[in-house]
Amino acid sequence: MCVGLPARVIRIKDGIALVDASGAKREISAELLDDLDPGDYVMVHAGLAIAKITNNDENETDRIMEEL
Amino acid sequence: MKDEKKTAREIIETYNGPAIRIMEVCGTHTHEIFRLGIRSLLPDNIKLISGPGCPVCVTPVNFIDEAVFLAQKRQVTICTFGDLVRVPGTVGSLAKARSEGARVEVVYSPMDAYLYAEKHKTEQVVFLSVGFETTTPASCLAVRKAKQNHLENFSLLTANKTMPQAYQTLKGSADAFLYPGHVHAVMGTTSCEELVREGISGVITGFTAKEIVTALAVIIIKHREGKAFFKNCYPRVVTAAGSKAAQQVMEEVMEPCDAEWRGLGTILQSGLKLRAAYETFDARIKYTMPKLVGHSNTACRCGEVLQGKCYPDGCILFGKTCTPEHPVGACMVSHEGACSAFYQYGGIHHG
Repeated sequence: MCVGLPARVIRIKDGIALVDASGAKREISAELLDDLDPGDYVMVHAGLAIAKITNNDENETDRIMEEL
Repeated sequence: MKDEKKTAREIIETYNGPAIRIMEVCGTHTHEIFRLGIRSLLPDNIKLISGPGCPVCVTPVNFIDEAVFLAQKRQVTICTFGDLVRVPGTVGSLAKARSEGARVEVVYSPMDAYLYAEKHKTEQVVFLSVGFETTTPASCLAVRKAKQNHLENFSLLTANKTMPQAYQTLKGSADAFLYPGHVHAVMGTTSCEELVREGISGVITGFTAKEIVTALAVIIIKHREGKAFFKNCYPRVVTAAGSKAAQQVMEEVMEPCDAEWRGLGTILQSGLKLRAAYETFDARIKYTMPKLVGHSNTACRCGEVLQGKCYPDGCILFGKTCTPEHPVGACMVSHEGACSAFYQYGGIHHG
């Protein structure tokens, strides 16, 4: 049950977003995020977008290893 | 070759220092580490321990008993995440209750339970609100909406928990924690920084192969420096402040309480319950819940598995009477559970 799904926002209206999670589309609540646009990626838990995803893992981990 | 020239994988594979015990708190980390084959990279002196970060696994038996009581004695409709349905209670599971006529509906989210209640006004609907800071905001939003819309046939049976108190309880079980990324996406990094001052080390990370391997390499390097540390290796999702909006809705709807964790016992102020302003949505109050004392199978070692005190295959039931098809303990029921992961991927002791 406690699994985060990364998903791409297709459209958003009145705090409800239609998202695409690896091909599966469904509506989720996006009322906790106020700066979402179509094309953004979000992390979804139990039907709720809890955070915006701002980078990809490749770039991020490369930077962390450079800083180490 | 200096470490800064090595890849994360090379840092892990060539590590030959003192043994490091790393607890992956989150059940999804446990599964991804198995699924991605990361355990096979680890030398013998790096031990991975599965922690208590599967909400279904740490939910105590008496919570299942309470849900079965509501379904059978109060004739409510239970709406629940699917993996709770098969968790054994003292007498039976919700699946057993359903087979005997109780109404049990599987939902994906608390809001789906709210919508079910809205469409079935003749039924009394109780959502089983388990979970950490990742799922609690969704429960709070559903209850707040029910109050705003005067939806009177909807309530929560709460067993929500918060993680920082569990880290403190498990302090001696590991040298460093792999913190659950999405808990901290909501709560931010302040609690992790405070834990450093108590001598507790850890790294927040995500769930891809590169993220997990990078986090393990960071732990190896930081651990060698000999003092407590914290590093956020998942800033693409986790910010220092976390989600203020999620924190606010939790603060508005719920308040801290003591909570029982399967295997860990009662941890002070590690739970959340509905505030007085929302008590009409509290199923324990609404249905005058009696005090139930649950008893689990005495041979089941889920409690020790959740503390990292034994590996799943150290339990006499593992793979024999306890399998994913016929689970005895919660850690075998949930897909995020350590026993389920060991069974599915053929557990490896080292690493």
